Amino acid sequence: MLDVIDLNLEFHDHLIPETVVYDFDLHMEPGEIVGLVGESGSGKSMTALAIAGLLSRHDMQKQGRILFEGEDILTCARSRLRALQGDDIAMIFQEPMTSLNPVLPVGWQVEEALRIHRPQLGREERKRRALQMLADVELEDAERIYRSYPHQLSGGMRQRVMIAAAMICEPKLLIADEPTTALDVTIQHQIVQLLRRINREKKTAILFISHDLSLVRRLCRRVVVMQGGNIVESGDAETIFCRPGADYTRKLIEAIPKCEKGENAPSLNPGDGGDKTLLEVSDIRISFAQERRSLLERRKIRQVLKGISFRVRQGEVLGLVGESGCGKSTLARVILGLNRQDAGSVAHFSDCPQMVFQDPYGSLNPAKKVGWILEEPLRIRGGHTPQERRERALAMLQKVGLGPEIADRYPRQLSGGQRQRVCIGAALMLEPKLLIADEAVSALDVTVQDQILELLLSLKEEMGLSILFISHDMRVVYRMSDRVLVMRDGQIVEQGSAEQVYFAPSHPYTKQLLEAADLGGGG
Amino acid sequence: MKYFTKKLAGLLATLLAVSFLVFAAFAVIPGDPATAMLGTEATESRLEALREELGLNAPLMVRYLRWIKDFLRGDFGNSYRYNMSVMSMIRDKVPVTLTLTAISFALIVLISIPLGVACARYAGGILDHVIVVANQIIMAVPPFFSGILITLVFGLILHLFVPGGYVSWQQDWLSFLGYMIFPSIAIALPKSAMAVKLLRTSILSEMKLDYVRTAYSRGNGTRAVLYRHVLRNALIPVITFLGMALADMVAGSIIVEQVFNIPGLGRILLTSISNRDYPVVQAIIVCIAFLVIVVNFLVDLLYKAVDPRITLE
Repeated sequence: MLDVIDLNLEFHDHLIPETVVYDFDLHMEPGEIVGLVGESGSGKSMTALAIAGLLSRHDMQKQGRILFEGEDILTCARSRLRALQGDDIAMIFQEPMTSLNPVLPVGWQVEEALRIHRPQLGREERKRRALQMLADVELEDAERIYRSYPHQLSGGMRQRVMIAAAMICEPKLLIADEPTTALDVTIQHQIVQLLRRINREKKTAILFISHDLSLVRRLCRRVVVMQGGNIVESGDAETIFCRPGADYTRKLIEAIPKCEKGENAPSLNPGDGGDKTLLEVSDIRISFAQERRSLLERRKIRQVLKGISFRVRQGEVLGLVGESGCGKSTLARVILGLNRQDAGSVAHFSDCPQMVFQDPYGSLNPAKKVGWILEEPLRIRGGHTPQERRERALAMLQKVGLGPEIADRYPRQLSGGQRQRVCIGAALMLEPKLLIADEAVSALDVTVQDQILELLLSLKEEMGLSILFISHDMRVVYRMSDRVLVMRDGQIVEQGSAEQVYFAPSHPYTKQLLEAADLGGGG
Repeated sequence: MKYFTKKLAGLLATLLAVSFLVFAAFAVIPGDPATAMLGTEATESRLEALREELGLNAPLMVRYLRWIKDFLRGDFGNSYRYNMSVMSMIRDKVPVTLTLTAISFALIVLISIPLGVACARYAGGILDHVIVVANQIIMAVPPFFSGILITLVFGLILHLFVPGGYVSWQQDWLSFLGYMIFPSIAIALPKSAMAVKLLRTSILSEMKLDYVRTAYSRGNGTRAVLYRHVLRNALIPVITFLGMALADMVAGSIIVEQVFNIPGLGRILLTSISNRDYPVVQAIIVCIAFLVIVVNFLVDLLYKAVDPRITLE
């Protein structure tokens, strides 16, 4: 059904042409699920966009052939391509929020492909099919969803809507570009189940693109691994996972944090700190007034944090896991004093706790050089000569594993991993005792993520840091933490040592999280 | 409902504040209406008698409250200069200025949306370059000057209208509209140029967003993507600008009315200021403030209509 032969993609937007995909070959049978794995910059998304006929940049050179049922996507007429898009080839994307048009109702967007490809259908019939499709992707109350706008739905619901919109014309090929990456583990699990069901029932072939090997292993029979634009390995998923042929594949598999007993890096013996408490949070409560759905409705109060209490001891890493919306980021903000709590207290027993945020792109001022960013905390505190500040910034760069030349670069000139190192460096400039890391590695590739976790652990040892490590990723939290808190709906449902929580969970929600994360597959 | 009551209260408060500021300003600035009416040759006793008659000797607050009370009853007071009621003076001027503004606004929308979309669609092409350069020039020309140019080109060279040959709408509304087109162009041109520039930038940044890729993936052509998906999103910042432009146009029609010899609010405001005919000035300024506030309110509603994410609070 799909044959990609010797595909080469080249950018010409710089003086020197940059090849992003080299000699890519792929064969797909109808009804097959193929996984395409690689880290950012591996060319996997470019390949996917090329197959979907969505690479139309003028400065891009495309060579080779992409044959869809014998027709070459690269050379066929624009009108023919448009006839295929949305009808025979459909695509879903990573970010369901930004991939849906924010100002148009969901129903309109689900129906759009029908309007384009089945103009003979009447309005009633279109709506009937859209509602049917919404119900098909397991959305309850399809009628209401049909009328709502994307911002009124949750992330998982939006991705279901995306899938419904893609499937409405019953395409032969569905290209899924990181469809679950932005979602919570339990939702991720459900979406994978849904894709598998669609594949089984509608015989739709799926090209599943992901950076997550263990996820691909669960869904796909066949896997193609890409690195730097090249295919490094392809074949049967189980074989690749258990006996990887290429070094790169092995590295990818090893970078996945293991969840076996004793595999985390506990520092149960915190050395000099003893049992000293650095932070004590007691009975924090916070609630926000919710938006009204109609003008007549009474304003609802939503409790975000419902009495949270815990302590962070010196020298320990306290993991905080929970899905999006459980209140973990609000909690971090309350601890730092960025949000006022309604009740409860936060007691700090150390100076200026610092924070590292999720998005290393958005958290650095794009107009300032790295050196300036690193010096800023010192400048604000005052009492240092410019020379001293400079020296300290350079020393910090070395500490976080970056060269001194980075000080004169702008954030945009750095990779994601380098930026996150800069963020960590800036947070450590004032030598805090407590570091709060809010999803600090979630936006990074596995291998980069592995390096940053390693860095955090070594800095912790070196500087005697305590870390409150907030994440949705069960594996990462296990790797990092001595103790773990599991949070749900503004409450801590379980806490204990990492081993205890992961291998003898007592709360059903913890069990559910562990099951969805499929930790067994990590090994 | 609560939103509307809140908005209405805000509207009234603003009007009250504006009216007081205007009233107080005229009490403070030098110059005396009595002298303006009787001339500098008048004797002190006659001036004093007139001041007493006009109620100018009462304290400021008393005069203000008296004025407000009359104003609410629809009595805007009497012109010092013409000794006729302000109401009758401005009643038939308001529609003239409103028509001028409405036509200008319609022109801005009609010109800027297609041009902005075209610019963005062919960004970097010849059409785009031509429009961008033309934009720069037009933006730099103030309305009164473009008014003079339009009079020259359309009136004196092409004879499409008779410069200064204003026809009132009571006489013949068709010729009235025909005449009004040209001053409207003078007002609309610089604002359209800005709107085109804004819309172009806005569309170009929207085109980079994910939902555009989704729209293409469903088999939409560029035109459909632009008009069905992008335009509505791209209009959000433009609406802000159009709202401000509209308010600015109501107030800014003064000069263009002068150039085209149109008896609208602007002209009467100008003459009244130089005559120190305070009741007229006050009434007109409050009217303009009212219009501006109403326009802002409409813009808020328009936002809501275009972007469902916005809640009116």
